[in-house]
Amino acid sequence: MNKKQGPVSKLHRRDFIMVALKGTLGLSSTLGLIGLIRFLGYQSDPAPQTEFELGPASNFPPGSRTPVPEAQAVLYHMPAGFIALSLVCPHLGCVINSVEQGYACPCHGSRFDAQGQVLNGPAREPMRVLRVEQTPGGQLILYTG
Amino acid sequence: MKANPTRPSFFHHLHPPTIPAPQARFRYTLGAGGLSVYLVLLLVITGILEMFFYVPSPGEAAESVQTLAFLVPYGWLVRNLHYWAAQLLVVVAIIHLLRVVFTGAYAPPRRFNYLLGLALLLLSLLLDFTGYVLRWDEGVQWALVAGTNLVKSIPILGEGLYRLVVGGTQPGPAALIRFYAWHIFGLTLALVGVGAWHLFRVRRDGGIAVPPPEARRDASRISRFELVRREALAAILATAVLIVVASILPAPIAPPIREGSPLAAEARPPWFFLWVQQLLKWGDPFIFGVLIPVMVIVLLAGIPYWLPNPRPDELGRWFPAGNRAASLLLVILVIILLLLTILALSPLSTFP
Amino acid sequence: MQTIRLFLASLLLCLSLLGAAWLQSRQPRPVSLLPTLTGQVEYCLTCHADLPEISPSHPVETFGCVLCHGGERLALDADLAHSTMRGGRNPSEFAVVEASCGSGDCHSGTAQDQRDHIQRAVTSVQGTYAGAIASIRFTYGAQSDQTARLGVYPVQDDHLTTATGLASLGTFDPSQESSPSVKAFADYCLDCHLSAEPLPGAQYARLTGCAACHTPTANTDLDQPVHHLTTAIPYTQCNTCHNRGNYDLRQMQFHPRTDQPVDRLHDYYQPIAQFVRCEWTLDCVDCHTRFEAMGDGDIHSNKKEIQYIQCRTCHGTLDELPLTRTIAGQDDLALRMAFLNPVIDLKVGDTVLVTEQGEPLWNTRQLADGAFELFGKATGQRFTFRPVMGTACEQKLDQQESRDCHECHSVKR
Repeated sequence: MNKKQGPVSKLHRRDFIMVALKGTLGLSSTLGLIGLIRFLGYQSDPAPQTEFELGPASNFPPGSRTPVPEAQAVLYHMPAGFIALSLVCPHLGCVINSVEQGYACPCHGSRFDAQGQVLNGPAREPMRVLRVEQTPGGQLILYTG
Repeated sequence: MKANPTRPSFFHHLHPPTIPAPQARFRYTLGAGGLSVYLVLLLVITGILEMFFYVPSPGEAAESVQTLAFLVPYGWLVRNLHYWAAQLLVVVAIIHLLRVVFTGAYAPPRRFNYLLGLALLLLSLLLDFTGYVLRWDEGVQWALVAGTNLVKSIPILGEGLYRLVVGGTQPGPAALIRFYAWHIFGLTLALVGVGAWHLFRVRRDGGIAVPPPEARRDASRISRFELVRREALAAILATAVLIVVASILPAPIAPPIREGSPLAAEARPPWFFLWVQQLLKWGDPFIFGVLIPVMVIVLLAGIPYWLPNPRPDELGRWFPAGNRAASLLLVILVIILLLLTILALSPLSTFP
Repeated sequence: MQTIRLFLASLLLCLSLLGAAWLQSRQPRPVSLLPTLTGQVEYCLTCHADLPEISPSHPVETFGCVLCHGGERLALDADLAHSTMRGGRNPSEFAVVEASCGSGDCHSGTAQDQRDHIQRAVTSVQGTYAGAIASIRFTYGAQSDQTARLGVYPVQDDHLTTATGLASLGTFDPSQESSPSVKAFADYCLDCHLSAEPLPGAQYARLTGCAACHTPTANTDLDQPVHHLTTAIPYTQCNTCHNRGNYDLRQMQFHPRTDQPVDRLHDYYQPIAQFVRCEWTLDCVDCHTRFEAMGDGDIHSNKKEIQYIQCRTCHGTLDELPLTRTIAGQDDLALRMAFLNPVIDLKVGDTVLVTEQGEPLWNTRQLADGAFELFGKATGQRFTFRPVMGTACEQKLDQQESRDCHECHSVKR
């Protein structure tokens, strides 16, 4: 290194160190931020249940409409098979009540018909259709996931 | 780092425009006061992060600590940082106290600020103690039982004070939530308040203790910008060192306190109260566990008022001739406390 | 200069953060388990995922680990996680069994709901050792009759169901005994009850508590843990205590056998004793019932009061057919035992043998022609046999004890 460089090289060195300093501080901050996000992102509560055993299919005769409160759903035995409608309102998530001709949400007044289609109210989408499967042994399983 | 000298930032404005260079040196102050401030900041940040996971209920407290220590990404780091910063704060505060006495920096007009500093030391010890209890595991049994019963031993006020501290007739859910409230809010608020007052008084009393201008051998000064740069350096270094320590040495953890939890054969208080446990082996809990520690505090508080102060021209250096008595008293006190601590750790110390 | 220092300090900070990130990446990825019985997530599988399922009736998705073993379910540090485990590696040790096997009223309860396993095992003669203690003390004059007063641990029974049941036993304390023979008995002969640690050696290898019988460890290295519970207990497991040697009552010494028996008929059993084919072919549990092995809930002074199975229990006598019972409902104990150990496909409507005390021999079934089939509980081997009535048996009608059958049916060795 030529020591007789003069003021120009001194400036370059100072700038370089400043850049290096800002770089390491920036890197430290980034590392810290990533760590913080991972730290805060941890979920301690166990994930909610998404599979529900409903019992033997014979418990639900054709044409029946059975509420399944623990899954927040209603089970239908249609001619084509078993389906379920989710009682979680598609508007903002309140639990919908069953009424005479269909469903009514107590929170903001959405109304649905017996098939879950929107009749009225702030909700734009119909009630969610949930999958129901039958095991070889004739047991019904409801999937809310 | 390119600060405008005519428009200093808030942070720069907190510092005086210049301070005397000799007293700004690390070998004079050891940076202990500033490091204490930084450690409090680190403790508040890591403490807030822990609050996202800690549950202050006896059934869940220790398990939430285990969640932090083993399951949350970098939870072990946050917890260990919090623990080591807390223990380091107590040590650094004591070093700061030693420095202040050994340099005579408590002399008027700084006597009241010295008392504020003592109060901060006490608050730090109480914060360390309440935080320790929040672990609610088998390691904290001494603190829970013996520590709270010490309060009960105070005549006249003891029963009432105990009910205030514990929130019931024995340590349980009420005590835990109270210790939690004190730790995260009550004591922290007091620490920040008294701390702000302490820092304000440092400036109002004329900054770091120096001899009057005519007695100064070296009249050079450093700017506030240089001072902040030095503080930044110390803060970054302290953080790096603490991260390394936190990565290597884990904070203590033990099985949770449950129904039928065994009280360990040798129940131990936290390290900074070992000297009290040793005293308690010698007799009446009120005298040895409350009165004598209070006398130690009173003795420390009385140094600026009862012992000779250094002359103004002696300030700004270590061990001035004018306050030899104070330095000697402090050294003797420290040695006694160290001896008591060592004795507490050895099994030979219980008299038959 | 100052900037260089700041840069170096920041570099150190960077490196320390990178070090922390590296340490975080080295942490084991937690493997969670949410058992349906507890609803509290556990992380034991992070390290113990390769442990075999302990038994089909204790699936880990239902029970988890902590319900039986204790321990810290969230800790990933081995020392902390294992610090509150009950009974170390064996939560069925009698000192902790109530909190483990007995928790949630699973194996601890009343005889009515057939959940009194712990109560029966803890009061059984195999558990209390009351019979041996009473005999020795009686023989050497420490007590005046053969009624047991002491056991290896104190035990109480508030609910007596048999004529010979005792209300309580105190603790056998050799330091309180005056006879040197009784003291010697305590020194040399207390290695074989359910709460005693076994003698060293693979031939004695068994655990204590429930696992002494239900975890098959015979002839294995006890340092290799066996994570297995079964009701299909092979005779080798019984023989970690039984058939291990000879007692010399005068010297009060135990002389362990030194051979390695191979052939069950010729090597295993005492040369002077007589054995019929059942006894060297079937496993002990094929005949000895639940009451016999685990106790009937009462404290007894001697195994003679609890051991009652005879040849005639299965085979009947010349003028009596063996007792049977037809399975009437799904809740029948015989069906439940067969479900636990499916060597036999019992169904409602099948007829099984029962003992004089009503215990079903659930591994048997009456066949259409009046004969019976039996399936070995540990081997699954099928045997068929006919009742004695109507055969060429020459035994006198009033001599129908098992030893009388042995006169003809035991094998010359």
